[in-house]
Amino acid sequence: MDTSRPTVFVNAELLPMYVGRKVRAVVQVTQSDGEIKTGKSTDELQLIIKGLPQVPLMTHVEVIGIAESEQSIHAETWTNFGNTFDTQSYNQVCQLANGEFKGLFL
Amino acid sequence: MYGSQFDGGAAFSGGGFMPSQTTQAADPSFSSSKNREIQSLLPLTVKQIKEAFLLSDDKSNFTIDGVDVNNVTLVGMVCNRTGRITDVTFILDDGTGRIECNKWVQELVDSNEVEGILDGMYVRIHGHLKGFMGKRTLNVFSIRPITDFNEIASHFIDCIYVHLYNTRLRKLQGGVTTQQQMANSTSTPMKGSPAAPPHQFSGQYNVGQKNIEQMVLDFLQLPSSNADEKGVHCDVIARQLRVSMDKLMSSIQNLVEEGLIYSTTDDFHFKSTING
Repeated sequence: MDTSRPTVFVNAELLPMYVGRKVRAVVQVTQSDGEIKTGKSTDELQLIIKGLPQVPLMTHVEVIGIAESEQSIHAETWTNFGNTFDTQSYNQVCQLANGEFKGLFL
Repeated sequence: MYGSQFDGGAAFSGGGFMPSQTTQAADPSFSSSKNREIQSLLPLTVKQIKEAFLLSDDKSNFTIDGVDVNNVTLVGMVCNRTGRITDVTFILDDGTGRIECNKWVQELVDSNEVEGILDGMYVRIHGHLKGFMGKRTLNVFSIRPITDFNEIASHFIDCIYVHLYNTRLRKLQGGVTTQQQMANSTSTPMKGSPAAPPHQFSGQYNVGQKNIEQMVLDFLQLPSSNADEKGVHCDVIARQLRVSMDKLMSSIQNLVEEGLIYSTTDDFHFKSTING
């Protein structure tokens, strides 16, 4: 459990690379099953978020927490990003922050 | 636009600099901010700040990507907010690192600004980077909560863009500097030049460091260049400095407009206004 290092910007594609590390992702909550929420990541794939309280469906939520597995995040903090969030731009940031410009972020 | 057909004798009869000391600054082409003494605002991530190069230990002279860092803007989450009577300190966590921030609260407008700022909130900060005993902190001028969260993605994209711009600027200055691409109306017929002055300009041709204007100026300030009343023909300058006529003429034009050189007997002979 690595909580000291910077938080990595991830989408569903990048999450598997950072299992066990602190990550941040924006998901659009599609299903709510008690403690476990299913959401659509910024690259249109499914992610499972644990530890989120009740959030209205279809809103974008930024989740910061530990990547528990290749498909799930255990949330520690979350922020409601509203309905008018541009997932494409954020997805591009994820790709750039982990690719060519990793030095600026991690 | 003035300065293209220049009657050197008449213009400089009064002495002193041309009134156009404030050159047309709105030039989109690459000109290093160091040359112009411009203080720019940089969007940065905390990671970039942590890795900024400190020029001297006693002052807060940071550089990032070769550019002086003065005012910065960041986006991140507020943590450990502590409010005192005269100031508010908090830690800004933007996901790439954490930096301590301080905002002085002196007037009502300041206290109104910080009142609504709580832990866990995303904020946009403008401030000045300070270093003390190896620790980097931010002196905050302006702080406001973020309401449209697209601003977060936008800020990071901004950081990437400015980083790319500055690193490419450095690469360009490593090669030949491209001067301002002004529409140059002066035609340049290559006449046979007079006897070349003795070659005393033996400096290193490190074009990367000195731009062409500086080279021309240095050359014209040499005693050999000032020996002849007519000054130096631009062909000669081009040959000695090994620069193309286009670049030379636009540098000369800039120098003339700044009042550092002037044309003498015709449009092709130039002399420095500061002698030797």
